[in-house]
Amino acid sequence: MILKVENISKFYQMGEVKVTALNNVSLEIYDGEFIVILGPSGSGKSTLLNIIGGMDHPSEGKIFVSGKEITKFDDKELTLYRRNHIGFVFQFFNLMANLTARENVELATELTDDALDIDEILNEVGLGDRTDHFPSQMSGGEQQRVAIARAIAKNPVLLLCDEPTGSLDFKTGIKILALLKKVNEVHKKTIIVITHNIAIGEMATRVLKMRSGEIVEDIKNENPMDPERIEW
Amino acid sequence: MVVKKLNLRLFRQIKSTKGQFISITLMVIIALAIFISMNMVSDNLSVSLETFYEMTNFPDLFTEVVRIPQSAIEGLESIPGVSKAQGRVRTDVLFKVDNQNEKVRVRLISIPEEENILNENYIIEGEKHPEKINEVAVLQQFATARNIKVGDRITPVIAGKEYNFFVSGIIANPEYIYLMENEMNLLPAPDKFGILYISEEMAQNILGYQASFNEVVIKLDDYENSNLEEVIEDVEDYLEPYGLIRTIKKDNQLSNSIMNQELNQLDSMSVSITILFLGVAGVIIYIMLMRLVNNDRISIGVLKAIGYSNFEVLLHYLKYAVLIGIAGSVIGIILSIPIAAGFTNLYIMYMNIPILETQLHYRYFFYGFTLTIVFCIIAGYFGTRKVLKIMPSDSMKPEAPEVGGRIWIEKISLFWKKLTFSWKMVFRNMFRNKKRAIILVLGISLTYGITMVPLYMSLIWNTLFDVQYKVFQTMDYNVVFSKPFNENIIKDISKIVDSEHIEPKIEYPFELQNGWKKKTINVIALKRDTKVYNFRENEETPIFLEEKGIILSEIVAKNLNAKKGDIITLNNYLPGKDDITVKISGITEQYLGSNAYIDIDYFRSLLGEKDLVTGVYINSEDDVIEKLQDIKYIGKVESNRDMMDTFMEYMDLIIYSVGVMMIFGAILGFAIVYNVTIININERSLEISSLRVLGFEKKDVYSMISKENSIMTILGILLGIPVGRAMCGGIISSVSEDLMTIPLLIEPSTYLYTAIATVIFVVIAQLATMKKIYQIDFMDALKSRTS
Repeated sequence: MILKVENISKFYQMGEVKVTALNNVSLEIYDGEFIVILGPSGSGKSTLLNIIGGMDHPSEGKIFVSGKEITKFDDKELTLYRRNHIGFVFQFFNLMANLTARENVELATELTDDALDIDEILNEVGLGDRTDHFPSQMSGGEQQRVAIARAIAKNPVLLLCDEPTGSLDFKTGIKILALLKKVNEVHKKTIIVITHNIAIGEMATRVLKMRSGEIVEDIKNENPMDPERIEW
Repeated sequence: MVVKKLNLRLFRQIKSTKGQFISITLMVIIALAIFISMNMVSDNLSVSLETFYEMTNFPDLFTEVVRIPQSAIEGLESIPGVSKAQGRVRTDVLFKVDNQNEKVRVRLISIPEEENILNENYIIEGEKHPEKINEVAVLQQFATARNIKVGDRITPVIAGKEYNFFVSGIIANPEYIYLMENEMNLLPAPDKFGILYISEEMAQNILGYQASFNEVVIKLDDYENSNLEEVIEDVEDYLEPYGLIRTIKKDNQLSNSIMNQELNQLDSMSVSITILFLGVAGVIIYIMLMRLVNNDRISIGVLKAIGYSNFEVLLHYLKYAVLIGIAGSVIGIILSIPIAAGFTNLYIMYMNIPILETQLHYRYFFYGFTLTIVFCIIAGYFGTRKVLKIMPSDSMKPEAPEVGGRIWIEKISLFWKKLTFSWKMVFRNMFRNKKRAIILVLGISLTYGITMVPLYMSLIWNTLFDVQYKVFQTMDYNVVFSKPFNENIIKDISKIVDSEHIEPKIEYPFELQNGWKKKTINVIALKRDTKVYNFRENEETPIFLEEKGIILSEIVAKNLNAKKGDIITLNNYLPGKDDITVKISGITEQYLGSNAYIDIDYFRSLLGEKDLVTGVYINSEDDVIEKLQDIKYIGKVESNRDMMDTFMEYMDLIIYSVGVMMIFGAILGFAIVYNVTIININERSLEISSLRVLGFEKKDVYSMISKENSIMTILGILLGIPVGRAMCGGIISSVSEDLMTIPLLIEPSTYLYTAIATVIFVVIAQLATMKKIYQIDFMDALKSRTS
C-alpha cells in the first residue's frame, strides 16, 4: 500500500452556505495500480485528486503516503512532497508556452536528483524528433505527451491525471491512454486518472465511482481492457 | 553553462515584452545616470572649491572703506576672532581695446608682494605676482576671452590716462571663480569685464591711495563660529572711522554665493529627477508585474504543482524587476561617467577652479546600484506578491469574470444614450479599472509637468529681461560718477551728450535693518516723478515714490521680513552721518537685483547734503559711451542694451538644457503611455478577441483603445496644469536666491505648447502599441488556456 486516505472531508464556505465537496472519503491505493475515478462534474473527484496530490488541504481527515501523514505537512513539506512523489497531468496540458518540449520536461527534472533520462522519456512518449518545438507548434496530443513526459521524468511514486483526454479527439485520446498504460506497466508507476468518461474505466485495474463527494462504488477489474479497444 | 529552465522562461518572457522592458529600463537608466553623475559633479565641485579656497587663503570678510591707512590694518588683527587682515586698493577702470565701439572694463586690485597672503593668486602661466611696478597678473577668464598672453602689453585707462602694463602672469583667483562685475549682471561676460592684479605700490600711486587702501580682506579664526556676528560688529566698529562702506561675508560674496547656489541646484536636481524617474519606473514595474502574474495564474499553479516552492516562483517573477534594476543601473553607471565629465567641463568653462577635474567617486556607483535594486525589489514584490496566494488547485479554474456593472456616467442618460457602442465600451473600461486609469492620468500629468518646466524656463528668461529692462527700468544708460558731485554737473553732461531725458540719482550702499534682520544693498534716490523706473506691486498696480518713505524690491523685503508700513533703519556707512529711520511705502516687483528706492529730495535732507548726485540716468540715441567714457569725473557708463546682448548669448545654453529636459519628458510620457496601453491590451486580449469575432476590425479595436487614451490624455493634461505649475514653482524656488526672483508667470502659449508636446508623446507611444493589437490572434486567445 502506498497511499491511505482516512475519512477525508472538504467543505467550502460560500457566503452563508456550507458546501461539502468531499464527505468522509476513505480509500487505500496499492503499488502499481491503475485507478480510474469516475464521476460527473461536481462529484468531488478533482478535489480528492488535488488533496492527494498535496495541492489542497482537506478540512478533516488524514492521508498517509508511504507511511507519512501528508495532511500534517506544512507548505514547505508539501512542496517537497509534490516535487519528489507526485507527477501531474492536466486536461489543458498546461505547458509553459515559451519553453520547448524538452525544456518543459527539464523544468521538472531540474527539481529532483533521481530524474529519469529525458531523451529516453521523450522517445518513449513518441516525441524524439520534436523535442525542440514550442507548444504552439504542436498538436494537442503532442502537447499532452510532453505533459506526461514532464510528469514521469521526475520519477514520481504517483501519477495523477485530471481528465487527460478531456480536450483531445477520440483517436488522440486513445493514444494518450495507451501511453499511460505503458507508463503503468513499463515504469511500474501507480496512476490515478479522473474522468467523467465511463469508457476509460474499462482499462483500469480498479474503478472508483463518485457522486456528491462520496465514493459510491469501488470495483476491482480483473481483466483490464487494452486501451486500443476502448471506444466512446 | 546550464541555464535553469525557469530562468530561460524568464529571458524569453523579457524578449517577448522587450518594448516594456526597454522603456522601463530607460527610466531607471536616466534616474541612475543623473543621480550618480550629479552627485559626483557636486562632490567634485565642492571638494575642489574647498581645496582651492584653502590653497589660496580665501578671506571670510570683504570690507570696503573710504580710506584706511596701511598702519591701521594691523590693529584689526588684534580684534578677538580675527586671524589676518590685508589691505588692498580696488578700482574699476576702462580698458583700451582696438574696437572703439567696444566697451571693456577691468577691475584693478592691488596684491601684496610677500608670500602667504590672503586671496592668493593661483598660477596658470608665468608669475603669480606682479614683481615690477609695471607688471600685471591677468585673471585667466579675461585673458582667454581677450586672447591676452604672458609678455603682452595691455592698457587700462585710469581717469582718462592710459597706462601701459606688461603681462607677467595669467592667474586664477578664488574671488572670481565666477566672473561677474556685480549682481545685476546675472551672467558672466569675460570679454567685457576682467580683473587685473597690480603691485601695491603702483596701485596706490596711480589711484591716489598713498600708504592707504580702500578695501580690507579679513580671515577669521573660525568662520563657522557662533559669534560670527559679534566679530563682524567689532570689525565694523574698528573700520567705522575710516568710512566703512560695506562688509560682505564669505557667504554673500558674489562668486562664492553663485557657486553655492549651483551646488544646491545640482543636489536638488539629482534628488528630484531620481525620485521622479525611479518612482514612475517603480509604478510601471508594479502594475506590469501584477498583470503578468494575473495572466500567468495557470503557469504559477502548474509550477507549484510540479514542486516549485512559493519562494522559487515568487523569485522567478521578481527577477524581472531585478533584471530591470541591474540592466538599468549598469548602463546608468556607465553613462554617468561621460555625463559627469560633460557637466564638469561645462563648469570648467564657466567657472574657473583650476584644480577642478572629473573624478569618479565609486561609492556613488555602489549607492546608486543598491538604491535601484532595493527599489526594484520593493516595486516588484508588491507587483508579484499575489503569487504567494495562488493555490495550485484554484489556478486551473478560470477566474471569475470581473464585475461589470453600470457606471455613474450612465445615469446622465441624455449623454449616455447619444454615445455609440464603442464609446460606451470606452467609458465602461475606464471606470472598471480605476487604478490603471488613475495611473495613466497621473502619468500623463507628470509628462505634462516635466515638459512644461523647460518651456516655461525658456520663455521666462525672456520675460524676466523684458520686464526688467523694458518695463521696470527704461533708461538707456546708467552713468556713475567717480565721486559725488553737485547737481550742476548734469548741465555739463547735457552739453556733451544729446539726450532725450536725463535725471539725477544718488546711489549709496546702506545696511538695511528690520529687527535683527540685516541686508546691505544699494539705496537709489530718484526724482519723485522719475521717468526711468516704473515701480509696481504687481502687473496691475503701479506704485510711486512718496515724499517720505522708501520702496523695497521684493527680494530685500523678503530678506528683511519687512512689509509695507514697517519702519526700517538705514545704517549709514558714510563718515560722520547718523543712521536713518524710514517707513516702507511700498514693495516693488523687481526680478533682478536687490535695491531700495527713495525720493531724492527726502534723501538729501536725511543725509544733510544739498544738491548731491552720484550719477545720472540717460535716455539717448547718441553714442553716450563713446562720448563720456574718457571724461575724468565719469566712473562708469553702463548700457541696458549691452546687458541684454550679453544675456542673448546665453540663450544657446538655455535652449540646450531645455532640449534635454524635453527629452526627459518625452521618455517619461512614452514609457507611461506605452506600458499602460500594452498592459491594457494584454489584460483585455479575451475581450478584444471577442470583439474581433463579432466582426470588429483591427482598426476598430485600435480606435477604441485610442479613444480611451485620448480621454485619459485630456484628463492628464488638465491635471498636468497644476502639476506643471507646482514643478515650475519648485524649480524657481531653488533658483531664486539673493540675486533674483523668478516670477511664476506662465504664458498661455506655454500651456498650449506643453499640451501639444504631450499629445505628440502620447501619439508616439500609441503608435508603438499598434503592433501588439494587430498581432493578437483572436482565435488563439479565445481557445487557448495555456499561458
